[in-house]
Amino acid sequence: MKINRWLIFALFIAFAILLGPFIVILFASFEPSSTLRFPPTGFTLSWFKKVISMPMFQKSFIFSLQLALYSSFLALLLGVPVAYITARYSFRGKRFVELVTTLPVIIPGMVAGLALLKFFVLLNVFSVKTTLLIGHTAIVLPYVVRSTLASLTNLPVSIEEAAQSLGAHPFKSFVLVVLPNIRVGIISAFIMTFITSFNNVPISLFLTGPGISTLPIVMMTYMEYYYNPSIAALSTLLIGATLGVVLLVQKIFGISKLL
Amino acid sequence: MKKYLVLLPTVLFLLVFFLVPILSIIVESIYQPQKGWVAGKYLQFFTQRISRVAYTRSLLMSLLVTVVSLAIGYPSALAIVSLKSDSLKSFLMTLVVFPLMTNSVARTFSWLAVLGREGLINNLLISLKLTDSPRRLLYTPGAVFFGLLQLFLPLMIISLVSALENLPKEVPLAAKSLGANAFKLFTRVYIPLTVEGIVAGSTLVFTGCITAYVTPAVLGGSRVTMLSTLLYQKTSVTLDWGMATVIAVVMFATTLVVNYLSRKISSLGVSRQ
Repeated sequence: MKINRWLIFALFIAFAILLGPFIVILFASFEPSSTLRFPPTGFTLSWFKKVISMPMFQKSFIFSLQLALYSSFLALLLGVPVAYITARYSFRGKRFVELVTTLPVIIPGMVAGLALLKFFVLLNVFSVKTTLLIGHTAIVLPYVVRSTLASLTNLPVSIEEAAQSLGAHPFKSFVLVVLPNIRVGIISAFIMTFITSFNNVPISLFLTGPGISTLPIVMMTYMEYYYNPSIAALSTLLIGATLGVVLLVQKIFGISKLL
Repeated sequence: MKKYLVLLPTVLFLLVFFLVPILSIIVESIYQPQKGWVAGKYLQFFTQRISRVAYTRSLLMSLLVTVVSLAIGYPSALAIVSLKSDSLKSFLMTLVVFPLMTNSVARTFSWLAVLGREGLINNLLISLKLTDSPRRLLYTPGAVFFGLLQLFLPLMIISLVSALENLPKEVPLAAKSLGANAFKLFTRVYIPLTVEGIVAGSTLVFTGCITAYVTPAVLGGSRVTMLSTLLYQKTSVTLDWGMATVIAVVMFATTLVVNYLSRKISSLGVSRQ
């Protein structure tokens, strides 16, 4: 089909809305004065220096990294076996298992955040940190199951059958034969869950305590009081890092693996 | 039998740590052991002006964002699908996915530099002599609209691209050779054959808009209260936990109704073919 001029125009509008603000914020973070301005009146890197040396951002950045790492690992541990069993066997209650593992996607994050706050933190069942780990693990679990399932359906069952007919115990064949063959699915699931947890706001919003807060929440709190380019610099850093990860994933696995 | 035991930790984890708390706050908002059935807060939600305005605004905003993202997303998806070069196609899809992966606070903050007092639009308007003094563009429904559009347009484009890729290339060619003009091609061929993608994308965008928090909080503020920002206000400022729970339940119920309706529409579309 010949590409219509109007289609190209629509595509141009779409990318202007999607990417335009990122270009604007990049330039705004070089503004020397302490107002958010575009076009900038000069060039300075001082906001970048300021923002990476501020303890509140350093602390919450490290906390967010840890939380994303732990919840992603926990989700892999809980999610990969479920994906394997549901892909390979049919059993009573399979629909129920599938429903339960997709529910965190259907339930709005703020609803989950409020429920976890009321049920665990306010009733002193768990600490804020533990509740954050639970909430983040639950919301990223469906990504692990879906991504692993997709890899497993592309893997012929005959490979496992060969391993098992040669005497490998089902667990051994899973570890030595299945896991290495679905590693791309598992790695892309990990990248996806890490990004999702690191960026999460709706759950983390309700789960903050003295000295405990994730980076996005600290950024939002800071923005309420200060209107200077420091958040612009931090946003530029985060946007740049995300672009790097996304381009890397596209180069190595193809972008469809993340969807 | 033993192998099914590995399912147990995961199912228990999600049931006990995730579903039970959510179900319990929903039940608690309707029935309390000491008081019996309670509906007062729901009545309050639908009669108080502030919550009614926030709910209506959320619904209308979600509808508008869905319609506009469909209007921009459909031709964009068509353009991407009809590209000859696979590497260019994959590069464009990466750029579509990129905003979706970006931290929502950073993404939303970018709009402050576009719409702020000394931002791109105001400086452009002043230099074009269209206005003398900066206009207030932030903390308006329009600002929230553009923020949400940027956030959810990728979901629409992704849904439509995958629907269009499943469409056999011969179908539009056949329609054209039989004399269909561009309008007929679009309304009689493309739309009916991609109805599932349209409905799936619209559902994601609509429910996403209803539940989004960062965008209305940063770009709308307290001037443009929406369902999600009202919910947070109730837990942080007024500490009205009962009302916060009711808002959460209304939000959840709305997404469920939308999901149910879209499934109905989708199955109608399929049975008609």
